[in-house]
Amino acid sequence: MIQQRGASSRAGAAPIGRVVATELKPATPHQFHFWTANETTIGIGAIVRVEEEGSGKGEGGRVVYGVVTDAFAYSDLATPLHDVVGAEGDPARAAESPTVRQEIRLWTAAVLRQEPEEPLQPVPLGRVCVADDADVAQALRMDAYLHSATPTGIPLGLYTSGGLEAPVYLDADFLLGPEAAHLNISGVSGLATKTSAVEFLLSSIFQHFPAHKGRVAALCFNVKGPDLCFLDQPGSLDDADRRRYERLGVSPEPFARVRYYAPFKADGVNLNTLRTHPDLAGDVEPLVWGLEEVLDFAEVLLNRDDIDAKADAFIDFLSDRVVRREFDDGFGGTHRVQTFADLDRLFRAIFDGLENAGRSDMWRTHHVATIRKVRNRLSNISTRCKGLVTDDGPSNDLPWGRFEARTVYVVDIANVDPLGQDLVFTRVVSELRERLERRDLGVDAVVVFVDELNKYAPGDGPETYVRKMLLDISERGRYLGLVLFGAEQFRSQVHRRVVGNAATIVYGRMDYDELATPGYQVLTPATKIKLATLPVGELMVRHPHFTQPVFVRFPRPAVLRGRDGVERFPPAADLPFEDAVVRQMVRLDRRIRPNEVKDLIADRAPDDVRRALAATRRARPDDPLAFFRRSLGRAVPAPASERPREPVAPLNPIGDEPY
Amino acid sequence: MTAHRRLRDALVAAGAVPASHIPEESTGRGDLLEVAGAELVEGPDLTVHPLEAAATPAAVAFLDGIERWLVTCYDGVIPIVRGFVAAAIRRRAATRRMATALEATREFLVAPVPLLRPGVRAALEASGIDVIDVSDKAEQAAQPGRALEAARRAVENARVALEKTLAERHAAGLGPEEWLVVDGVLSESAALSRHPRALGVIKSHAAQYFEGDALTRALTVPDQHRSSVFRPRGRARHEVYSWYLRLWPWEGNDLLFGLVRVEARAHADTVAAASRVSGWLARERAPLATPDRRWDRLLYPMHDVETYLRARAPRDLVPPTASRLPLALPRRAS
Repeated sequence: MIQQRGASSRAGAAPIGRVVATELKPATPHQFHFWTANETTIGIGAIVRVEEEGSGKGEGGRVVYGVVTDAFAYSDLATPLHDVVGAEGDPARAAESPTVRQEIRLWTAAVLRQEPEEPLQPVPLGRVCVADDADVAQALRMDAYLHSATPTGIPLGLYTSGGLEAPVYLDADFLLGPEAAHLNISGVSGLATKTSAVEFLLSSIFQHFPAHKGRVAALCFNVKGPDLCFLDQPGSLDDADRRRYERLGVSPEPFARVRYYAPFKADGVNLNTLRTHPDLAGDVEPLVWGLEEVLDFAEVLLNRDDIDAKADAFIDFLSDRVVRREFDDGFGGTHRVQTFADLDRLFRAIFDGLENAGRSDMWRTHHVATIRKVRNRLSNISTRCKGLVTDDGPSNDLPWGRFEARTVYVVDIANVDPLGQDLVFTRVVSELRERLERRDLGVDAVVVFVDELNKYAPGDGPETYVRKMLLDISERGRYLGLVLFGAEQFRSQVHRRVVGNAATIVYGRMDYDELATPGYQVLTPATKIKLATLPVGELMVRHPHFTQPVFVRFPRPAVLRGRDGVERFPPAADLPFEDAVVRQMVRLDRRIRPNEVKDLIADRAPDDVRRALAATRRARPDDPLAFFRRSLGRAVPAPASERPREPVAPLNPIGDEPY
Repeated sequence: MTAHRRLRDALVAAGAVPASHIPEESTGRGDLLEVAGAELVEGPDLTVHPLEAAATPAAVAFLDGIERWLVTCYDGVIPIVRGFVAAAIRRRAATRRMATALEATREFLVAPVPLLRPGVRAALEASGIDVIDVSDKAEQAAQPGRALEAARRAVENARVALEKTLAERHAAGLGPEEWLVVDGVLSESAALSRHPRALGVIKSHAAQYFEGDALTRALTVPDQHRSSVFRPRGRARHEVYSWYLRLWPWEGNDLLFGLVRVEARAHADTVAAASRVSGWLARERAPLATPDRRWDRLLYPMHDVETYLRARAPRDLVPPTASRLPLALPRRAS
């Protein structure tokens, strides 16, 4: 028979390759090899479908889905020497040979899924086709949670290959609990991938979190510049992004509900955030804590040398027996300690009482040296965390118990010193955990986003409260609905239990040195190369349902990027004290005239003004100005200065006498 | 179960003894064993000519064929041979890549049919597979060794015929700038031997055309040179012109290293074009046709066609790499 070539007689989906198996490279239940034409759309990370040819009796053969993990190209050249001989040692001539050598593109793929799954057998030597949408869903076992009675799919991105854009979904039960939880994302800095991916995913979660799973909110710690300061502002998207949003079924909108919190700067009136543009500053709530909020976490702020057993016991005593209750100091005085100032008054009363009673060593079983030490350290906290911790003003905290569903709470601690950051982390996470345990937060699940895990949960170094908190979330959070989305540059340097407990792992572009660490040994060199050169917007994802990591592309988040935000909304310069007070008062009531406020605070002590302002802010009265005036109290005129005394002449003026 | 397996079972059922032996000769062809003469058509003496630096034609088609055979049964001592021949034309265009333009295969059985026992003969005829009867060489066929030689020749003839059919068909439709290069002689085909753009490239040199100084000059042509054009005599069925062409320097190797003989139509234009045609043919030496042992004389495109055909040949006709184990163990004496 003589066959004329040229016209294809194939029907149905055209195969792009065939599985091959040799004794040295056999097909196994977990891996197979296939070849394709030299010109092909297949690449590392591509998902393919292998179809076993039936015996012609109409039965369906085994179907295997795989993801390409490695690639080889070689020609029929026996040794490089033959190429040199053929080209007579001239590389230019090698390209001039009339015929191009036979080449092969051989691919290695890891099995994602087999159908039927039992009995598990080696991959059949069948034809290889490019996966379509349905194949991708099957291959990644997404059918189990996309097409169930209560779907739990959360769009993550698009698997793209050869023009195909197939949505990839995460399972909410495995992303946000209870089956598994937590997400960890790593990648080099500066590509805006990590933050962008989390922003997009949060948006996707808010839009697709299944109603039957309850209410979800997110709390993001902004630890770098303006990264998360403009989540409520629309960012620029191109047509490709909009197409991806449409494909994923996610609306390209900025977050509808964002609450910003930032501590004050040291002056106590200007907010310590980059979101201070007049158009935006109005919705940044000050984050101010007093003694009640801080005392339970004093250990965070005191170093280990400070907290010996005696000091610890005394702090516990203060916390349990003194703060927030009427307390008799034993010397006839009664105290109600609510602020650092109140506490200091108590300390003074104790010392005076001891001195007057002639006892100077013990008070309520606590040695006076311990008391002095604790006083010294605690009174120092408001100095060290100025702006965040107030001495005597009322606090302004996150809306504990009133968290709203599908709302992002941004706590901006980017410009707070490390000690203050530790305090914020520890207290916020503790509070979240306690309230979720009591079902008293307002929502059923909270995603906590923490960037720079390298810094906050390092694999080595001393044990810190922040790391303990992050470990606690990682290990127990999923039962509570407390979910950690962590990001870092070097995954290998983050505590193993923090990353190990993350069920979903996302990789952006990776540093090659990082890829050389043991944690990446399971990846092929080709996958590592792809990771090291990953373009912006592309990620590699591991998820409990995915047998192998898959590459996905996600659209740019529909929010204003931090860098663009500070250009469009440049931060306002710090205002003078009076103007800052006016701005805050006007925020409470736009009818207030600046001059009225300025007149009120003229010649008043700044601490008094801060206290009155904080009280007004906290009370949110109908008439803020009147409340402020009352809080400020009447100005007490300074006592009139006494008549200057006349100078008294020296008794023995120095004369000319020699004695 | 394949048709061949069914046939083999039928033959065994009819009394033949199963066998599985692939002679080494089955994978190649034998050399011509003849001394031929030649008539010079380019100058009075055989001389050496340098090649012209010529561009390779935009499109060139290359034809090659393979043959495989094995003894599938013995009827008594008479071997029944299963033969397979294939030929392909792979065309190279501007992409410099080879693509199959035409290919053909043929499977058949070879046996001295009248010498077979009636039952075996009946099974052969019932198989529906082509049978080449070599009973005209019955005297030889009565001896198993001679029967194998007869079978080898029958398979070779089948290959040559297939190649010729394919070549003539392709040559008939050859484009105005397209050439056809055949692995072997042109002189088997009247159509090819008359075609202005058909060339035969012969790697074996068992047939010699000169003697004395002319032979010396012919076989010691330097690298990138050719001999004068001559008209071969002897076995050629159709008249062609021919010349020697050295693809690689032979010094330090053997006399025939890198030496091929080219055949083209017997026409004055052939003489005029010999250096130019040799120029582009010589460029075909790269890339090297390794790992083939004949790479010094085997043009890479021919190697490509051969590789293609070998890859598509039935796998049970490939010589086994493992040792030959007895298929039936002798019954242990009780």
